[in-house]
Amino acid sequence: MILSAVVEKEFRMFFRYPLRVISSILVGIVFLLQFVFFGQAVLGGRYSALLEVSTGMGDYPTYALIGYVLWWVSVSPMEAYVWGVRRELQRGTFEMNILSPAKIVELLSGLAISWLLMDSVLMMIVFAIGAVIFAIPLTLLIILKSLPIVVASLIAFLGFGFVFAGLVMMLKNIGPFAQIFEFAMLFFSGVFFPLNVMPKAMIAFSKLFPLTHAAAVVRGLFVGKGYLEVWGEIAWLLVLIPVYWGIGYLIFKWAERITRVIGYGGY
Amino acid sequence: MYAIEVNNLKKYYPKKIPFPFRKVEWIEAVKGISFKVKKGELFGFLGPNGAGKTTTIKMLTTLLEPTDGSARILGYDIRENTREIRRRINLVAEGERTLYWRLSGYENLKYFARIYYVSKEEERERIESLLKLVGLWEKRNDLVMNYSRGMKQRLAIAKALVNDPEVLFLDEPTLGLDVQSSIFVREFVRKLVDEQGKTVLLTTHYMAEAEQLCDRIAIIDHGKIIALDTPDNLKKLVMNEDAVEIRLKGNVPEETPWRLAIVERDMESNVTVLRGPVDEEELPKVVEWLVRRKAKIISVEQKEPTLEDVFIRLTGRGLRD
Repeated sequence: MILSAVVEKEFRMFFRYPLRVISSILVGIVFLLQFVFFGQAVLGGRYSALLEVSTGMGDYPTYALIGYVLWWVSVSPMEAYVWGVRRELQRGTFEMNILSPAKIVELLSGLAISWLLMDSVLMMIVFAIGAVIFAIPLTLLIILKSLPIVVASLIAFLGFGFVFAGLVMMLKNIGPFAQIFEFAMLFFSGVFFPLNVMPKAMIAFSKLFPLTHAAAVVRGLFVGKGYLEVWGEIAWLLVLIPVYWGIGYLIFKWAERITRVIGYGGY
Repeated sequence: MYAIEVNNLKKYYPKKIPFPFRKVEWIEAVKGISFKVKKGELFGFLGPNGAGKTTTIKMLTTLLEPTDGSARILGYDIRENTREIRRRINLVAEGERTLYWRLSGYENLKYFARIYYVSKEEERERIESLLKLVGLWEKRNDLVMNYSRGMKQRLAIAKALVNDPEVLFLDEPTLGLDVQSSIFVREFVRKLVDEQGKTVLLTTHYMAEAEQLCDRIAIIDHGKIIALDTPDNLKKLVMNEDAVEIRLKGNVPEETPWRLAIVERDMESNVTVLRGPVDEEELPKVVEWLVRRKAKIISVEQKEPTLEDVFIRLTGRGLRD
């Protein structure tokens, strides 16, 4: 009930302004186009044998589109916690939510799920437009096979973003730090280029990001691989889900305790 | 059982975030206050800005962890039983930004009804009756951003009643409102107590509001309760003193040899009002003293003692100093 109340409220406020929805989609497409064209310019065309050898997927637009859409969705819980909570603080509505008997974890999860769903809707549109523009080979089977992985990824992303939920209540102005983190994820998760071009230590570090594995699995499924062939990446994803939820929850509880001492406050 | 029982409650704020191993200095906001509020009582907290009124309300509504002392709301401990308390209380917070401006009045109440676990069957009926009660039913589908300040405050009150709370906290409920809206809010709050038997604790720095509305008043200053009684009994403290109000234009001496405090200062018209206990014998000396310091006296009036005089007597300052 709490989750649906928060989701309904956020959807109403977001989709009430069509211009905001249109601008989000346009920004998404423009960002995607420039990266794909840049990649093609560097690779000398759409298809790259080198990319296929290192990642199993030689078609650069497909490679970039999958990584990009997943990245966008993966950062949305973090954005919800950082900017969503900040917005509530600025509005003065955050304390009014805290004052209710609803659990704060439920309220914040509702916020993150709302943003995740809104971004998923936007990204489905961007994905569909991207698929048409770049003539991405898509089948219903690939989409159906990808769905459980996407759902698992979303759960991992929610846990990953939860690390920020507590911090934002306490520090309030961690927006710029979170942005650095978002772009670090773009860099470390192999969204636009294969990870094997990076030094070994950086490759090892990239394993800590759920997005790295989510993108690798979905790309594998797109080139016709079965779940067993990408099992290693799926296992990573499944291990990271409880790890990030656990870390996020502990940080959150600690930050919540401090926040009750200093006050939820506002701006 | 009392609706609110507060025992030596203290709150210190850290100057910096108290990370582990970090030495932090603390600011004393509330320095050990104790009081009890009966069920069905309208209790007022009167004091200047920064006296500790909002901090006290935040502790009692479980939004802030007290540093020391204890408090019970309807028998529940504010540290241990936060959820039980939150189900039974609500708050009209200071300022107009406590609602979602991009939602309509109805949508706001619907959202808050849900996070207060109001059942679906009750939801529609309760929202309708609340919006009618505060006179916003006709405007229920308008976005809150298009509401006037007074309408927003009425909606904030309706929102605070959405869970039918037994205890209602109001933090400066008429701050920044026009006269008409202020009257509406005051009458509405009084009715909540008289007709619905709700317990209300409100904070204000408007003495007239406290005097007119409250059954009992605690005067708070620098984090301490300096007096607590009914408005009539508090005024008895200054019953035998002549309250004099002097209006001045232009430069005003910062300090006077008498217990005169600045109670009002209008920057636009550059008029300042001094008030304090000055008897008939002393009055000519006060006037002479002011004239010698080139103060332009507009008027000198003898007034009935009010809570402002009580505050001046207890602190030596005006409420708005």
